[in-house]
Amino acid sequence: MKNSKKTKPVKSHKPLGVRINRYKGFYIMFLPVFVFAIIFCYLPMLGIRYAFTNYNGIKEPTFVAFANFKRMFEMPGFWSAFTNTLQISIIKLILTTFIAVVVSIFLNEIFNLHFKKVVQTIIYLPHFLSWVVTASLFSLILAPTAQGLVNSFLVSIGAVQPDKMIYFLGSSKWWRGAYYIINIWKETGWQTVIFMATLAGLNTELYEAASIDGAGRWGKMYYITLPALKNTILTVLILNLAKVMNLFESAFVLQNDAVLDTANVLETYIYYQSFNSGAIPNYGYTTAVGLFKSLVGCVLVLICNHLSKKVREGRGIV
Amino acid sequence: MKKKLIAMLLAATMIFSLAGCGDKSNNDDNNGGSSTPTESTPAPDSNGGQDESTPAPADEVEKPSEITILVDGTVFTEPNAQDKFIAKLEELIGIKINVIQPDHDAYYDNVGQIIAGGDWPDVMILSSTYYSGYAAEGVLWDMTEAWENSELKQRQEAYDGAGVVEGVKIDGHLYGMPAARGNGCVTYVKQAWIDQYNNGKVPTNYAEYSEMCANFVANGKYAVSAAGFIGSEAPYVNYLPEFYQDGYPSFYQKDDGTWVDGFTEDSMKEALQRLADAYAAGWIDPTTLTNGTKDCRNKFYSDDFGVFTYWAGTWATNLKTNLENNGLDSELVALPPIAEVGAYLDRIPPVWCISSTCKNPEGVFKYFIEAMQDGGDVQFLWTYGVEGVHWSTAAETLYEGTETEKVYQEGEFHGLDNLENPGTQYTKAHIDPALALVDLANDPADESRAAENLASSTLFAQNSKLAVLVPTTDAMSQYNGDLTTLKNGLIAKVVMGEMTIDEAYAQYEAEHGAEWSQMIVDSLNNR
Repeated sequence: MKNSKKTKPVKSHKPLGVRINRYKGFYIMFLPVFVFAIIFCYLPMLGIRYAFTNYNGIKEPTFVAFANFKRMFEMPGFWSAFTNTLQISIIKLILTTFIAVVVSIFLNEIFNLHFKKVVQTIIYLPHFLSWVVTASLFSLILAPTAQGLVNSFLVSIGAVQPDKMIYFLGSSKWWRGAYYIINIWKETGWQTVIFMATLAGLNTELYEAASIDGAGRWGKMYYITLPALKNTILTVLILNLAKVMNLFESAFVLQNDAVLDTANVLETYIYYQSFNSGAIPNYGYTTAVGLFKSLVGCVLVLICNHLSKKVREGRGIV
Repeated sequence: MKKKLIAMLLAATMIFSLAGCGDKSNNDDNNGGSSTPTESTPAPDSNGGQDESTPAPADEVEKPSEITILVDGTVFTEPNAQDKFIAKLEELIGIKINVIQPDHDAYYDNVGQIIAGGDWPDVMILSSTYYSGYAAEGVLWDMTEAWENSELKQRQEAYDGAGVVEGVKIDGHLYGMPAARGNGCVTYVKQAWIDQYNNGKVPTNYAEYSEMCANFVANGKYAVSAAGFIGSEAPYVNYLPEFYQDGYPSFYQKDDGTWVDGFTEDSMKEALQRLADAYAAGWIDPTTLTNGTKDCRNKFYSDDFGVFTYWAGTWATNLKTNLENNGLDSELVALPPIAEVGAYLDRIPPVWCISSTCKNPEGVFKYFIEAMQDGGDVQFLWTYGVEGVHWSTAAETLYEGTETEKVYQEGEFHGLDNLENPGTQYTKAHIDPALALVDLANDPADESRAAENLASSTLFAQNSKLAVLVPTTDAMSQYNGDLTTLKNGLIAKVVMGEMTIDEAYAQYEAEHGAEWSQMIVDSLNNR
């Protein structure tokens, strides 16, 4: 009551200048952030206009309306990159989230705290490797030679012939599988952090009660742990779904000429359009592709926001 | 009060952070030079302001007082005492030099931004792609007449360097001056492997080359490695020349002057067949597709393969040294091009260009570009750097007490320890002495160059032809990105046996490759 009495007169009667003066500390603190956001987030958006022009960075842009978008939709390479982006991102998201949940549950079952921490540290570590290092590492591990760890193993168990080793990163058939596994190796550990945090907050009395009721490990996992994680899993999935169009580094460092039909994503498509043409690129076209990507991303964010509100009792993500 | 103070401090910190960003761009602008006296405030006494369309006679050309140059990492960087290099250059040519040097790896991103910003430097280094593109768009000053009437041309002609300059002309016009040859790759074969597995026989044609590869493979190792089946920049085929031979996957100009796309020619299909056969036979490294050049070098040093097509000149010494360091026989044979190859490809060199907004291009050409290859002190500076910083003739011992200790006598020319990478010596500055277009008087490299370096350079110079500079067109800008991706994918799949040549060309048709190619060819022929 006291608070509402205090704030009400300020809201309705005091002039704006007085109110600003009263909270000037906050406004001063807010000002640089506001300027920063305008300069670095909103002003660059003016570049969107280039999507409707032909522009090579030298002469003045010439307005071409939707010609760049028309060309984009006619290009098989664009559609291939678009579908690859969605497929790779969504499958990667589902797989890494699922594996992270499974690993989190298993970690939660480890009672030896020291051992648990060691395991956690080991599985977190790959997250801190750069994608370039990761790509080099897996190029060696998956090499179709006697030095390639995986192929050597497959040969030793008779799964493949020594002269027919599998070029995992050089074959359209195998590339995506290898890509998902590399992603799981690199990112699963880090993703377990959020699930482990949820599990750490679980009331242990629930487990004790379940034990008294005769529940075994699987029963406790099925009836207590998984339901407790349900909201977190959905939240993680929804939040990450909004980012599925942003895929560059991991795909770029692992792809090569032979797998581009399955590995080229929108951001690498833009890269190749800019640097692979042997000519000064038309930035209008690459901006159009980028704008389309952003629009799809926006739609996904809105869908996620809608889903989030449903799942999280009215709490959206934007 | 405390909270307010913290708020103020935080706000001030952010403001200073932003101000810091502003400062940097201001500095860049200052360095950008075109807005310095050379451009936005052209001083009559510095840049002349002569009529750009009619070059003044050489003896009337006014020396600019200050110019701004945009350079990549091939010019000494700040950690490599750029300040001392520029100070010496200013002293020799009497012009104040403002340097803009973006990070080498992001050089062309920065060039694009600077050109788009409209604040063009007086001089810039450009690769062939950007050179032809910017020339077509009018960014570059036409230096044809200045060069034709210059002493530089005479010096280059006297040293067989003028042909390289002719090679960078676009439709008869010169917009940039190479400082040296572009260099290219020669095929090195390990002598020990030739002796051990090929009866000491050096191949001279494809049949013999194939036999050598087969012999190497029969002894349990693959023969050849490369970073990909096709290069990422022109001339594209220079890492596997024995297999490509006369096949070329991109655009080139025929003897009659017409442009064609080599990808659709029979010679390219035959090249694909050779590559596919070689890959299937295990001659080519199975990881070629995912190799980087460093991977190839490391495998070569580890004796994983015996035939490596790599850069002529300095790299011959590097390859030899690394083999020695690994305890291997380091003798390499620089293979003369086999009969079917005919000549190795000399890539189009980067060129020094003068922007079309430069107020005194004739002056910049005469006193900066031309001076760079004067055959004397300025060229020496561009070739070796600054005495006492990058090189010396003093009696001294480098790396004393280490395995790489080197003792030099008084008067003996030698590179000094690299400031950025201690433990290695400077071997050259911007101009590679082995690739110079003008004879450098008293070049110490004549005595100090390693034998294998000299041998491979000489072999390359005698057995190479200049790659063709492809002009830029709108159609190329629109379609060549997709077309190159399509071609490279098909080449890789054919070589790896994932599809036949006929299937590849059918897909090429189906995915509009032939259509895009024809549009680009038409645009080149109709310029």
